[in-house]
Amino acid sequence: MTSMTYSTAISSGRAQLVDFRQRTLAVARLRVLLVAAMFVVIALAAVARIGFLGLSDRTTRTTSLEEALLPSRGEITDRNGVPLARAFPAYALWFNPEALGDTGSPLVQDAASVAAQLKQIFPEMDEADVAARLASGKAGYLRRRVLPEQANKVQALGELALEMPKENDRHYPQGTMAAHVLGYVAADGKGRVGMEQVLDDQLSDPARRATPSALSIDMRAQGALEDELRRGMLSTNAMGAAGIVLDVDTGEVLALASLPEFDPNRIDADGEKYMFNRVTNQVYELGSTFKPLTVAAAIDAGVVRDFGKRYNAHPVKVGRFSLKDSHFLGDTLNVPETLIHSSNTVTARIADELGPERMRRVMMDLGMNDRPAIELPARGFPIWPGEKWPRLRNMTVSYGHGIAVTPLHLASAYAAMVNGGIFRPATMHRIKPGEAPRGTRVFKSSTSSRMRQLLRMIAVYGTGRNADAPGFRVGGKTGSAEKPGAGGYRRSSLVSTFAAAFPMDRPRYVIIAMLDEPKGTTASSFQRTAAWNAAPIVGRLVPRIGPILGVRPDDTRDVDMSDLEPLVGGGA
Amino acid sequence: MRIWWREIDRVLLALVLILMVIGTAAVAAASPASARRLSTSDTTLPDLFFYWAHLRWQLLGLAVMIGASMLSRCAARRLGIVLAGAMIALLVLVPFIGTEVNGARRWINLGVGFQPSEFLKPAFAIALAWILSWQLKDRNLPVMWVISGLMGVVGGLLMMQPNLGDTMLFAGVWFVMLLLSGVSLSLIGVLSAAGAAALTATYFLYDNARHRIDDFLGGGTAFDQVDLAERTLLAGGWTGSGFWLGVRKMNLPEAHTDYIFSVIGEEFGLIVCAIIVILYLAIIFRVLTRLVDEEDLFTVLAAAGLAAQVGGQAFINMLVNLQLFPSKGMTLPLVSYGGSSTIAVCLGVGLLLAITRRNPFLRRDTPGLGALMTRRSASGGPRT
Repeated sequence: MTSMTYSTAISSGRAQLVDFRQRTLAVARLRVLLVAAMFVVIALAAVARIGFLGLSDRTTRTTSLEEALLPSRGEITDRNGVPLARAFPAYALWFNPEALGDTGSPLVQDAASVAAQLKQIFPEMDEADVAARLASGKAGYLRRRVLPEQANKVQALGELALEMPKENDRHYPQGTMAAHVLGYVAADGKGRVGMEQVLDDQLSDPARRATPSALSIDMRAQGALEDELRRGMLSTNAMGAAGIVLDVDTGEVLALASLPEFDPNRIDADGEKYMFNRVTNQVYELGSTFKPLTVAAAIDAGVVRDFGKRYNAHPVKVGRFSLKDSHFLGDTLNVPETLIHSSNTVTARIADELGPERMRRVMMDLGMNDRPAIELPARGFPIWPGEKWPRLRNMTVSYGHGIAVTPLHLASAYAAMVNGGIFRPATMHRIKPGEAPRGTRVFKSSTSSRMRQLLRMIAVYGTGRNADAPGFRVGGKTGSAEKPGAGGYRRSSLVSTFAAAFPMDRPRYVIIAMLDEPKGTTASSFQRTAAWNAAPIVGRLVPRIGPILGVRPDDTRDVDMSDLEPLVGGGA
Repeated sequence: MRIWWREIDRVLLALVLILMVIGTAAVAAASPASARRLSTSDTTLPDLFFYWAHLRWQLLGLAVMIGASMLSRCAARRLGIVLAGAMIALLVLVPFIGTEVNGARRWINLGVGFQPSEFLKPAFAIALAWILSWQLKDRNLPVMWVISGLMGVVGGLLMMQPNLGDTMLFAGVWFVMLLLSGVSLSLIGVLSAAGAAALTATYFLYDNARHRIDDFLGGGTAFDQVDLAERTLLAGGWTGSGFWLGVRKMNLPEAHTDYIFSVIGEEFGLIVCAIIVILYLAIIFRVLTRLVDEEDLFTVLAAAGLAAQVGGQAFINMLVNLQLFPSKGMTLPLVSYGGSSTIAVCLGVGLLLAITRRNPFLRRDTPGLGALMTRRSASGGPRT
């Protein structure tokens, strides 16, 4: 085959030619390898470049489908999966004066008529302001959060300078509900105030944001709590209100409300003002609601053994101070009567018997000397009497003065008092069944049983009657504390609180309802004390949330009070 | 047919077919991007317009390739020589009867538009090899000057279009031929320097080349072709975004031709890109290593030239996509969409297959690789 080409080329120098041919071929063969080596070098360079590009950080701009389906920020839900906060891909309205090129007017129509047309699409827009900004020719946002149908209408205006970049917004479908729990997302994309701030890392982490973060809140209970608090606040012209519903066995917060509220969808100056959380951040002297805690401490220490024992109910003189009751309750009172009628003097005498050291120990065990145990970022530090309590301070603390704590402190303490004596920190996270923290024992189980009876008796015979929702076995204590002002306590401005638990035969939930400076109105029978304004809130709230939270009204059940009832002149 | 099957380089054929299959998939991936880009308000191209067109061209190309590979070596040589003559003639005519596309006059409209330069590529290598093999008959023939003259003519004609990329490719083939035909290494060095000088000259003489090289060196402006190609290439990471799930490709001009490598990068991942690089290298290596024990000078030269032409074009394209080379209007052979270019590349591969055909039962007494290396120092006595 090879010879075909050259067979005719036989010449005289054939031998020479054959030699030349062999040499040429040998050179060609060798240099073929050179060419191959060149290509190897080029190919290696290409592969190395691919590796270099692949390892450079520029490849992080991947567009995987998984990524595209992930929310830009994780969803927050309540304990039942109801969305409370979700990522919301929205549009913004941006004015780009250079869209039509550098020369001439940035708008096709004049600024005033464009502003008028925008006003028709967004009725709440400030037309004059927008017209001025369009005329100024400066780039900027005209509006954040434009809905798709509004975006279409803006598009139809035909102004190229009105651009609508896609932006990731945060949407709170429940509006103002649970605003203090959730907080909001600021313009820098970071969460503020509530769980948005606490869960910030988790919500923005690509690996974890796909799964919604479930809170302990139950949206239905939250709605009912806010509704009843608002009703109580408005009907008494109160400055504000706070409320909490706490699971006594796990420490989960099922509802937490601070009024007036703000709208996390729309942060403005008013919103900033109301971001303050009264439940976890504001400390109050919570008054008589502390009396059951004092009594529980005394029972636990063995100071109170005989519930029929009668104590002197006349004012207590300590040095130049004299501790009095709000009105004369009788010469002597036994322990159940003390709580039912809310006697400062007898409570102070019991605390005196108990002694400041043991009193202080119990208060510390209930966490009253530190910020409330909860995840929320805004937590107030209590006004705590310190190391050595003088006799007088011990007596005032026994009925909730001279110590100021947040309503959440009180809720956790009540939970420990009625759940069998175990103190657990409150939490905003949903806790799976059986995973509740073990907690620390503060009261004996027997003490807790006694307190259930006593609290129930207050609601049946005493100041808490307005909270006694039929069939729900509510028990609780009122507290109306005068707010400290310049130069002593002000008789006119009160903080009225009702601290309750239900159902008392087997307590499941603690409710705190608090009104800040309620006024005497017709709705509260011109009374300003907790029995007339805070207690009715609980009385209306319990029937609303009880069935939702698994407590059915039942007239055939109740905590057994038969051994104590004769002591207060009630019952058989 | 049985003889063909026995004589053909089946490994080479398999590698080529694998690349063509990858090309089918890649054009399917790139087709929506280009179809939407090239749709006008009057005509909307269906998403897979280029895919179906490419499939037709590929089938035609496959027929051409198989047909050409069935030629005897002699017939293949004749076809190459005739084709080279005809294409050079057409290339001369291009300035007069050619149509202008994208500012360059490269196309001749003969019912369907085709570029003579595309068909000249395979023919050119064969023609040069043929001319060089003259020296075996009479070693006094000035074959070097003949092929250099031919190169000068072709290069001149191409630069009139202007077509710097193809000029460089032809020059590369010519350079490989010179290298193989035994030019002294010092002359090769001089030629390399001259090549660099010529490139510098084009930089100053041709606006288009200058812009592209400036862009390459200076990073260019954001969202120019090169930048878009890189974004597309990297958008899929190592494993790719998945077939038809790429989004960056939609912004890429010439997604189905010049920048198909980037589209492959986005949808199938960088690993597949590396595999394609290795496939081209394997083709080149397969051809070149088999030439080591080849007896016929023409075969060595022609096959090496054709391999250099296909491989050179492939690597220039890939290096452009990888931003190692200034942007050239050059397709990825066997993969990119193309009408006449697909046929031309298939013809080239077919001729390559024809030339490298070999009777598997004839074992020649040839020096192996090792012997070849040792012989370098030896006197190189005749072995007849």
